[in-house]
Amino acid sequence: MSVILHGGEPLLAGPARLRRVCEELTAALNGIAELDLRIHTNGVQLSPRYLDLFDEFGVRVGISLDGDRTANDRHRRFADGRTSHPRVLKAVELLRQERYRHLDLGLLCTIDIENDPHAVLDALVELEPPLIDFLLPHATWDEPPPRPDGSETAYADWLLKVYDRWQHRGSPVPVRLFSSVLSTLSGGPSLTESLGLAPTDLVVIETDGQLEQVDSLKSAYEGAAATGFDVFSHSFDDVAAHPGVRARQLGLAGVSETCRRCPVVRSCGGGLYTHRYRAANDFDNPSVYCRDLEALVRGIEARVAVHPAVTDHAELVEAQQDLTRTLLAGLHADLDGRGGVRWEEAWELAGELESSEEGAAGLDHVLAHPYTRTWLLEVLGGLRAGRPEAVEEALRLPDYLAAATVRSGLGLTVPAGYRAGRLHLPTLGELRVGGEGECGTLRVTPVGDGFVARRDDSGGEWRIPHGADDPAWTPVRHLGHDAVPRFALDDLDLYRDCFGAPAASRLGPVEADEWEAGLAEAWELLEREAPSHAAAAAHSLTTLTPLAAGQHVGRPHGQGALGLTSTDDAKQLALELLGGFRRTTLRALLDVTDLYASDGTWDYRPLWRDGSVPFSRLLAETYERVAFSALDPCFMDGIDEALDMMGSAPEPTVGGKRFIAVLREEVKQTQDKWAE
Amino acid sequence: MKTYETSPSFAIAKKSRVPLTEIDARSADASRKLGRVFGTSTGRPTQTSTFSSAL
Repeated sequence: MSVILHGGEPLLAGPARLRRVCEELTAALNGIAELDLRIHTNGVQLSPRYLDLFDEFGVRVGISLDGDRTANDRHRRFADGRTSHPRVLKAVELLRQERYRHLDLGLLCTIDIENDPHAVLDALVELEPPLIDFLLPHATWDEPPPRPDGSETAYADWLLKVYDRWQHRGSPVPVRLFSSVLSTLSGGPSLTESLGLAPTDLVVIETDGQLEQVDSLKSAYEGAAATGFDVFSHSFDDVAAHPGVRARQLGLAGVSETCRRCPVVRSCGGGLYTHRYRAANDFDNPSVYCRDLEALVRGIEARVAVHPAVTDHAELVEAQQDLTRTLLAGLHADLDGRGGVRWEEAWELAGELESSEEGAAGLDHVLAHPYTRTWLLEVLGGLRAGRPEAVEEALRLPDYLAAATVRSGLGLTVPAGYRAGRLHLPTLGELRVGGEGECGTLRVTPVGDGFVARRDDSGGEWRIPHGADDPAWTPVRHLGHDAVPRFALDDLDLYRDCFGAPAASRLGPVEADEWEAGLAEAWELLEREAPSHAAAAAHSLTTLTPLAAGQHVGRPHGQGALGLTSTDDAKQLALELLGGFRRTTLRALLDVTDLYASDGTWDYRPLWRDGSVPFSRLLAETYERVAFSALDPCFMDGIDEALDMMGSAPEPTVGGKRFIAVLREEVKQTQDKWAE
Repeated sequence: MKTYETSPSFAIAKKSRVPLTEIDARSADASRKLGRVFGTSTGRPTQTSTFSSAL
């Protein structure tokens, strides 16, 4: 629970009374909730006497400072006109001392656009606070903020000058206002009640015991913050049920109709509640700073770099690999010794493999296999859910390392496990080394033309040359047709059951030939009609898994996998290839960055559907249909409208907007093609 | 005759990446990456005060 001692000026209470407050709060919450105690002061009276007290009770201190001396003196002079600036600087210096630094929360600056924005930021940054925030001056539609030059965006312009200066200086201090906009633009939460749709969950306790809403409301009109409740006869639950408080919990439903339809509402949230006030209709308005907030959000958006994976395939591949490696490191951490010697030896071997170029290449290949991700997610999910068999599943790591070692050709021997008489080497194949009931350890060693596997119990040795046709060895096939990429036709991987239909069992030779012939025909069609998509798919897809008839709940997998159902219709298969390629690419992108936020808050009705869908569905379907339209122009119907809907929607993050822009460009090229 | 290579290339990234065994899976960066694919955060969510008139 955060308790903020606020004012007026809370230091006027004096150290003795503040001590009682701290003692009372600490004792009352002891064992019930963690107390986050803070004080916000103008700093004029801050002295070691107070700070020693705050140190004793862990009270952290924020100070109001409006910038350089000129800025500060504009509104913060003593009654006799003297400047308070030196006293505030002295307080900040005191707080920066080693003994008090842990109490320093930072500086809060109220904006006056008459001040020089660069001078203000520079003055604040030079004091090296841990955090800065800028506050728009309190104003309402009845008492609008001063706009000396008449500009509707004077406050945004001022703040963007600060933002540019802040960026130019290398963002030396976090600025809460900017952090909040950057967070919401990236799909995260807002960080301050003055921006965004996060619920406001605070109550003000006046010194006479009255329970009130946030005190800034007082600047709307006399009594606006009142609830009629007090600590003597009411509870916090009573306050929480108060209509004024509940109105601040409603997120999108709590803002005006104009705001609900506005593309920047996720970032601005309709602005500070107080700033929406107009006597004629209370708070059911956009903020009096509406134009400023929109310009600020759009201004920062224009300055933000998107995740490089949104526009660069190589970056997406690398981000995916980074994610898989992080998952594997996460598995190591989550096991926390439960994997025993077998895991520790494997983990050490992974490090050894990575230390050479060949070993790293082999490991990269196996980790980039889409179903390796499925294994990792299954095991990690199992560990987190407390499923005991998850530890045994984790101990498949040596099998992955054995496959990586075979691929590397290094002279390492890896102890891999066989279960039910079979050793699975992901990406390579399956070796039958015993009966269905047998399990144990095999030593796998690469040799010049393949690998050798020896059972630990002297139960046999198998020498498998690459591409061998051995009764004991069932290899993962690769498409061998000259005109088709050498995709793996993976009907062996233990974790390949990831799609909307069940994975088919191992194909017979005739079936495999039929698959290959069908894929060759579909691929030729793709290359002829949609060459750019074919080229992109060739670089992105790695693994095709045949599916059987039926329904199945899909599981996550890494980038590059595609489940296909057999069909004689080349165009249908080409569409399935394109659709699967788009799905795996979008999924991969969403695994590493946010393209939208608050999905499901708004509904959309694309022309190709009878009903409405959330933004995520609209985006996914549009993305697929744009690719389909390269093969068949009927899929162009409704695309422009869908892009317009997404372009003016609140959900897309800054990355999502870039993604939509790229998609729009793709549509234009396809339209040009069909217009020829 | 057209030939395709379908193996992802990590040659550039390898030069700068952290070795597997040295990745700190408990770091904020790793937690963010893992949280995205698991869709859940670990532990109790904490939210700092959003009261705008104080830090």
